[in-house]
Amino acid sequence: MMRLSRVITVIAALALLVGLAQPPDAHAQKTFKMGAIVPVSGPAAAFGIGVQHGMEFAAEDIGTLTVGGDKYKIEVVTYDTAYDPGKAVAGMNRAVYNDGVKYGIIIGAGVHPPILPIIKETGFLDLAFAAAGRQITNADNPTVFRIMASSDQLYQTYTAAVVEKLGLKRVAFLGPNDELGKNDGRVLKTQVEALKGKGVSFVADEYYERGAKDFGPALLRLIAHKPDLIETDGSPTGSIALIAKQARELGFTGYFLNSTAVLEAKAISDIAGKAGDNIIALRIWAKPPTELYSQLAERHQKKYGEAAPGTLWEAYAATRWVADVIQKTGTFDTKKVADALGQSTYPQHPFGAATWGGEKTYGAKRQIVLPIPAAILKDGKWEPFDVRTGKFD
Amino acid sequence: MEIYLPLLAQGLAIGLLTGILYVLVALGLTLIYGILHIVNFAHGEIYMLGAMAVFYFHVVGGLPLAPTLLAIVVLSLLFGLAIERGVFRSLRGQWLQLVVASVGISLVIQSVGWIVFGIQEKTVPTYVPGIVQLLGVRLPRERLLAAGVAVVLVAGLYVLVYRTKVGLAMRAIEEDEETARMLGVNANRVAALSVALGFVLAAVAGAFVAPIYSLNPGMGLEPILMSFLIIIVGGLGSITGTVLAGLLVGVLQSVGGVLFGAEAAYGLVFAVMIAVLVVRPAGLLGRA
Amino acid sequence: MSVKAAALAVLLVALVALPPLAEPYVLHVAIVVLINAVYAEALYVIMRMGYLSFGHAGYIALGAYTSALLATKLGVSPWLGILAGACVAAGFAWLLGLVTLKLRGIYFSLSVFAFAEVVNAVFRAVDAFGGPAGIANVPRPSIGGVQLNGHLGFYYVVLAAAVMSLLFLYRLAATRFGFTLLALRTHDTEALAESVGIASARHKTLAFVISCFFCGLMGAIHCHYLRFVSPFVFTFFFSTDLVIFNMVGGLGSFWGPLAGSVLLTALGEQLFAAGYYKSLVYALVLLVVILALPGGLIQLPRMREAWAARRLRLAKAPVTAVER
Repeated sequence: MMRLSRVITVIAALALLVGLAQPPDAHAQKTFKMGAIVPVSGPAAAFGIGVQHGMEFAAEDIGTLTVGGDKYKIEVVTYDTAYDPGKAVAGMNRAVYNDGVKYGIIIGAGVHPPILPIIKETGFLDLAFAAAGRQITNADNPTVFRIMASSDQLYQTYTAAVVEKLGLKRVAFLGPNDELGKNDGRVLKTQVEALKGKGVSFVADEYYERGAKDFGPALLRLIAHKPDLIETDGSPTGSIALIAKQARELGFTGYFLNSTAVLEAKAISDIAGKAGDNIIALRIWAKPPTELYSQLAERHQKKYGEAAPGTLWEAYAATRWVADVIQKTGTFDTKKVADALGQSTYPQHPFGAATWGGEKTYGAKRQIVLPIPAAILKDGKWEPFDVRTGKFD
Repeated sequence: MEIYLPLLAQGLAIGLLTGILYVLVALGLTLIYGILHIVNFAHGEIYMLGAMAVFYFHVVGGLPLAPTLLAIVVLSLLFGLAIERGVFRSLRGQWLQLVVASVGISLVIQSVGWIVFGIQEKTVPTYVPGIVQLLGVRLPRERLLAAGVAVVLVAGLYVLVYRTKVGLAMRAIEEDEETARMLGVNANRVAALSVALGFVLAAVAGAFVAPIYSLNPGMGLEPILMSFLIIIVGGLGSITGTVLAGLLVGVLQSVGGVLFGAEAAYGLVFAVMIAVLVVRPAGLLGRA
Repeated sequence: MSVKAAALAVLLVALVALPPLAEPYVLHVAIVVLINAVYAEALYVIMRMGYLSFGHAGYIALGAYTSALLATKLGVSPWLGILAGACVAAGFAWLLGLVTLKLRGIYFSLSVFAFAEVVNAVFRAVDAFGGPAGIANVPRPSIGGVQLNGHLGFYYVVLAAAVMSLLFLYRLAATRFGFTLLALRTHDTEALAESVGIASARHKTLAFVISCFFCGLMGAIHCHYLRFVSPFVFTFFFSTDLVIFNMVGGLGSFWGPLAGSVLLTALGEQLFAAGYYKSLVYALVLLVVILALPGGLIQLPRMREAWAARRLRLAKAPVTAVER
């Protein structure tokens, strides 16, 4: 009795260890693997799926990569992190050590800390989708690039602009009590206090339990300070519409500002109805900035029957940019490619011409600099509000 | 920050409305737990399915509300009967396995939900738009509707449990199963009915809360945690306890949130639950 | 030497001798498997008493954070930190046990769950504990001045800790103490035990403390492996996974949770890209095992008996679920 069950355990353990040591397949066609180390399940799945699809479209469009005389096909391999640091480590280990992946897109400021050592040790070229700043892109991590506008960048580019354009005086912040929310609240406060001379004041900040759907109490406290703008950065996309709806129910008539709501207009107007009006969202294009942008959007709609998640275009561009640089440098060596990448520009980005910046703020030129739009919701439709190039030193 | 009356009044109103929503959601769980002592972890997922059903039948399919609700009631009833027969019945007498099995069911429904329904948040347009202003306090109509439904269901449940033969059978089984069986009560039927009814209550709650928030396949987790909290605080097997606890928690969260901030209020609610567990483990109105 | 001892010896030799030949990824999986195995067996200590805990991740987190904080803020050696983590977890277990072990069934489960949530909430709220971002750059332990930054070195640390822990927990089950815990499984048998003079409260508390000691120990080691900890690592879902390992493996003997954790962890690693299909698979495996394999995987060889026992139980089982 016990013998048998023990034998089962032993066999299982050995089979496990043997079965896992799979060497990479020897394909007739050489493949260049790129990793999508992103959440494809859990609350952040939309971001991950956008990256997956963006990378796949890019792989299709690139066709074959010619490096050092050999032709390679690009293969996108997904490692689901579910935005969990433990799973991210597991995915990274598998990607780097088992599958020999050296390039990839990784989502999440919250999951980067435990995988940064692996990135440093192996020189993995990380195209990071992570809003928070310094720990990820800095002089110590030359192979890490941020391919989306960072929170710092967005605040530097837009806070004063929006406030001035609308003649607002009282700014408040509502965010989740997690790293992103607390960080954004802090940054916003600093930005607004710099505008004190123009009569603008930061009146209140409130934090709600991450995952909450009822913002009543927090909103009540906030509204008591009579803000005319509620900044909702760091809130997950579904929440922004709910926040708007509930705030209006409580009598708030001002503006909302957000930069993480990469949702399409329909979703917000469905949830919030008229209440969604006067939401100003950064990184949402009310009018397609380039042909390529619309093409990609239509392509996604046709292939998947759903609107493209907001991360699609940046992932597509990053993949093509890196592939270009690899082909030009003629090597897969991540250090050399990282150097070359950092010096290059990419005029064909779907958002407009892109380059790198961030030397002063981050100590390394690893922050993407490209046109960032702002749009405002009116009558259930996004209208252009402003477009600036992300200011970043 | 000055706390002044209108703010507190609004906070109280919101708290009561939210509290009634909690009660609505917790009713199904109370019923099953109260009679059968079965912890139905899948409760939150049935709630989610009820909301999703409204989206797919009514919003996408165009079916009017009344037939949609009828369909939801029928489907959840059948589902409840199936689960009772297929899962709970074969695990009778094994409390641990029952609990974990219901966790398994909830995970299966949730995973299938994500795969089938997709990741985009969905919305159900409100059944009754607008706000009612009462004594300077703003009350959204759709929440009042849900509150009304909750009241009706609570009253209905009271009548069922305390004024009908079926309810008598249920109470008998709960109090002393052996004797009840000896006196001719069909325990299997009571079990099946309780579970089925619990599922219906969960699904209907989902259907009426659907327009208030947005929908996604993971929306069942929070309601079930809240419902457990309420049942523990209110007391096992007591409908009145559930109602009182729900309102109490809602008001605590809201007024506490207004006074001390949302994070602190969250902690406050947990602290209350732990306090109740320590001082009165059976709950405020539970029987020891 | 009996077959089972020989088999174990072979396994042990393999675990010690093969790794230098293995790829880093295999070492990673081995590390995670060993850590999960200890977690599962630690949980088993109280599950065989009939207590279902959905909050063990809280004690794991306590162990992890203690060691992380000691190492990063006070420069304490990880070796000491790991021990400290275990003791902190055990200490809180003792305190909580005073209150929660009196509770039955689902009340206990929810109270431990609540505690775990409070733990994570506190770590999230207090910036000194790292706040929502957690604590990064947690150092690996060093031996003779060499920091174990690679997979291989740390693997041996994990192996040693896991083997020692599992050995202890295994022997525990065979002691009088271990058997007494079985006697406390249901309310009735507990009353019976008390009537013959067994101080059930003390036994339960000790079991709980031991269970959480090992959770804290492995939690600290886990944290040093990741070199990171945050309130989002040891969550309610993590606790649920541990319960699933136990149930799938079977609660009938020490080998159940071991088998369950090894198999499911390995399975989980293979399903790395599967997204929601992965949790679906876990849940389906769980349901199939609970419904079709009473007693879990380790009862496979004795399935017929297990089924007979269930049929017998069902014949006289009440409709209302009796807790514990």
